[in-house]
This record gives sequence, C-alpha cells and structure tokens, in this order.
Amino acid sequence: MNQLMSSKRSIFFLVAPGFLILISMIIFPIGMSIYYGFTDWGGIGDYNFIGFENFKTIIMNDEVFRTSLINALLLTVATIVIQHPIAIFLSILITHCGRWEKVLRTVLFIPAIISIVVTAKLWASIYNPQYGVLNNVLEAIGLSSWTQDWLGNPNLAIWSIIVVTMWQGFGYAFLLYYAGVKGVPDELYEAAKIDGANPFQLYVKVVIPLLAPMMRVAIIIAVISCLKQMEVVYLMTDGGPGNSTQLLGNYLYQTAFSSAQYGYGNAISVIFVIVVLIITVVLNKFLKRDVGEY
Amino acid sequence: MEKQLNTTPNISVIRKKEKKSLSLGKIILYIFMAIVGFLQLFPLLWLFDYSLLNSGEFFGDAILQIPSPPEWETYISAFTQGNVLPYFFNSVLVTFVSVALTAFVSILLAYAFTRMKWRFSALFLNIILLGMMIPIHATLLPNFIIFNEVGMLNSYWALILPYTAFNIPISMFIVTGFMETIPRSIEEAAVMDGAGIWRILFKVIFPITKPAIATISVVNFINCWNEFIMAYTFITEDTFKTLPFSIIQFVGQYSSNYGAQFAVMSLIAIPSIIMYLFFTDEINKGLMAGSIKG
Repeated sequence: MNQLMSSKRSIFFLVAPGFLILISMIIFPIGMSIYYGFTDWGGIGDYNFIGFENFKTIIMNDEVFRTSLINALLLTVATIVIQHPIAIFLSILITHCGRWEKVLRTVLFIPAIISIVVTAKLWASIYNPQYGVLNNVLEAIGLSSWTQDWLGNPNLAIWSIIVVTMWQGFGYAFLLYYAGVKGVPDELYEAAKIDGANPFQLYVKVVIPLLAPMMRVAIIIAVISCLKQMEVVYLMTDGGPGNSTQLLGNYLYQTAFSSAQYGYGNAISVIFVIVVLIITVVLNKFLKRDVGEY
Repeated sequence: MEKQLNTTPNISVIRKKEKKSLSLGKIILYIFMAIVGFLQLFPLLWLFDYSLLNSGEFFGDAILQIPSPPEWETYISAFTQGNVLPYFFNSVLVTFVSVALTAFVSILLAYAFTRMKWRFSALFLNIILLGMMIPIHATLLPNFIIFNEVGMLNSYWALILPYTAFNIPISMFIVTGFMETIPRSIEEAAVMDGAGIWRILFKVIFPITKPAIATISVVNFINCWNEFIMAYTFITEDTFKTLPFSIIQFVGQYSSNYGAQFAVMSLIAIPSIIMYLFFTDEINKGLMAGSIKG
C-alpha cells in the first residue's frame, strides 16, 4: 500500500496535467509580466530595460493610478460597510420566513449568476437619462429634482458603479452569512430562550458573535473581489468621465491595449498583484486573531 | 404503517403552531421580505419587460409597461442579427470542454494531495493557492503575447486553457475536501484485489466523488458561460466568439434597436437562471466549500 502510494511514476502523471496548465496559464505569464515591467516595450519592436523606472512613475507621479487605487478602496469599504450589514440582517430575518425561506434565498441570489456583460449593459440602461427606469422611478415618487445622468456626472459615476457591483455581489455575501446563521447549533437558541433572552438579545448577544468566523471569510472574499473588479467599469464607463471611475484592472488594460504602453501596463499589473497579495495576507493574519469558536 | 401513525399528529401540531404564530410581526416580516425580493429582482423584471416593447414605447414615463402586443419579433431579430446561434454553439463547446477538463485534472490533483506521499506536495499546494489569489486581469497582457507568438489567438484553446487554469485551484480544494472523508479501507480492499492506482482512482474513488464533481461542474459552468474579459481579449474573429459578444455587437451595430438589445441580454441571462434553479443546492454547496477553503 505504502509503496503504491509513493510511486513516483503515478504521482508524476497525477500532478503533471494540472500543473502544466497552471504554470503555462498563470505562473509563467506572471513571470513574464514582471520581466516586461522593467522595460519600455510598446507591444511591438525593440525595447530597453529601464530598471525600476515604471514602478517609480506609477507610485510617485501617476495620478490615474492613484485614482484607480482610491476607487478600488472606496468600493471595498463601501461594500463592507453597506452591503455586509444588510446581508447579515436579511440572513437572520429570512430564517423566520418558514416555507418561503427557500424561495426568498433563491430570489436574493439570482443576480449573482447573471453574466457580467448583461449586468453592466442592463444597469447602463437603468441609468440612461433618456429611457432609463431610475429617473422614471424618482419622478414617480416625487423626487424629480434628483433625476440626472448617473454615469455622466464625474462626482456620482463611481457611486453608480458601486451600486451595480453591490447588486451583483449581494447574493454571495448573503449566502455566506445565511450559512453562518444556519450553522448555529439549536441548543444555543434553546439555552438562550431558557435564560429569558428576547429575540433581539438572542441575535445581538449570541448569533452575531458566532458569525465572526463567517464574517472573516466573507470580508476577505469581498476585499479580493472588489480589488479585482474591472468588467463593470470597462463595460459601463471605461473609467470615465475623466478617469473618475477608473479601477486598477481597467487602467492596466487601457494602458497596455489602448495606449500601447506594454511595459508600463505590466508594471501596473505587477503592483496590482502585490497589492492583492499583501492585503489578503494581512487581512488573513489580522482577522484570524479574534475568531470565535463554536 | 406504524411510522405514519407517529408522524401524522406531529405534522399537524407543527402546522397549528405556524398558524397561531401568524401575528402582526409575521405579516410585517413577510411584506418586508417580499419588497426586498422584488427590489433585488426588479432590474431583471424590467429587462424582460422592455425586451417585449417596441422601440416607440421605450421613452414613456411608465416604470413597467404592459407590452401591447408583446413584440416577440425582437427575439427573432436578436436571434438572426445578433449571431446568437453560432456564438451559442461556441459558448457551449468552450464551456463543456473547460468544465470536463477542470473536473478531470482536479480529480487527479486531489488524489495526489490526499493519498499519495511525496516530498514537494506542500510546495505544490502553495503554488496552487497562489494561483487562486492572482487576478485574471494580471495575466491578460502576457497571455495575449504568448497566444500571439504561438498562433493560438482566435482558437477554442485560447479560452479553454485559461478558463481551466483559473477554475482548477478552487475545484481541486473542493474535491480534496470531499476525498478526505472517504475511508482508506476502501482502497486497501481494492489493493488486496490487485488493483493499481488508476483502477482505484477511476473504478473506486471516482464513483464516490461524483457529488463533489457535480458541484464543481455546475459552478464552473456558470463561471465559463458568463466569462467576458478573456474572450474579449483573446478572440477577434467571429468564428470563435462566445455569447456575451452578441450584446456588445448588438449595441454597436443597432444602437437604436433597444428592444432587440434587451432581447439578446435576456437570451444570455436565461440559461444561467435555469441552470441555477435546477442546481441551487449544488451551486450553494460549491460556493460554500470554495469560500471556506479559500
């Protein structure tokens, strides 16, 4: 048995296909990105090695990069501060909905499985000042002074984008918290009831503290996916108006493919990966500390 | 018979309890949750509604309009002008091959990590974890160059390989989690009968692992079906484009034909929604397992 399970030949054939794909599609390309990040390559022709020049420019002088990073962080913070409390609240309420629980759970999750292209184009239509439904709704409820071009206003556009990403991401956050609420052992509810806790105390003092491990998971996932967010912006505003909705992924895409600054784009992409890795690792360490146990 | 006698009174007791507790609080809860569910689904309802309007009805003030009569022709023109059918075929082909390849490779990897004993397994596991944290966008530029060099742009493989690569890490972790619960005595018995690794893997382990395979396959299906940015970057020829392109194409070419644009969006959203309604449990399980491991 032991001999069979450490047969080098079998191990090679088990591991090789997966690693060939992973290395050739993810690891090697990232290595290439690092290499070209140190050059001034424009995509075709010759290039020179310029050391840390690209990285220096990005960190010190690139206004658009700064805007992209700030927008990504704004999106992340808004998601955690607005979307997650709502998700927790609804995941608790829904458990009291009896036989409607399953239906509601499905309904709340559906936006999460809609194609990003559909989501982006659909919301662009909702925001459209000519035929969009948002302005019509505002007029119908007597807020016609609020109507405007939601994606054309540089101060508001990023918030219009944030709403879209929240709509799409809500189901996922909700599902995680819902699983957390469902995972609380029945005995704890019983015990709290016997101790005379009212429903409000029960949730604030017993259930929500027990959700801490799930919050950690949900927050890490939200942070990573917010930092990686790009398609919605690419399809709705392409970073505009005037770079006000720029995000890291979209900016690196524009730099490399539209402005043909391939070396520079790769340097952005390397910094992007480093930012994601650092935030993930730090968050993991930081949030692990106060994990409650069941 | 005896069992039935025992359970029937129980059920009626529960029902009575439910009826009794339909208090004012419950009614408020149901109304509130119904509003939340409606709001979450509203953009999609609006999409389906407007896909059935003729273009003249688009600019009214109404929020949802009763289409009179429903313009089913928008769906026909979407189908004939939006290249929906050939793109649909490409989406099906790319999605199914990617899903099958991911499942196959993930089983092999999971088996190597749960059962086989080898020196570098920890190192390899870390590489896979790293693959999970790397944003897709960071690999777009280098992969574009590589595919261009080897003449792989505009081919099915230019989508299948990266889709598989990005789905492998999480799929492997889900299958690993499942395989760890399979008792080793089953394999020991097979070894006694003289079976080798491959026979154990495909005749013994694979049938037991099927639920996990189903879970990852459904989740990967939705990922691949909806994927846009890689397809948009690596494919420029009509022959290989996937379904999300038809929206982009439609918006570009028939920018005033709103009804047909909405019809194309509906056509792309519907398969995902049907898939989700059929496999809700598998998808939920997959997402939960993925998030906990990640």
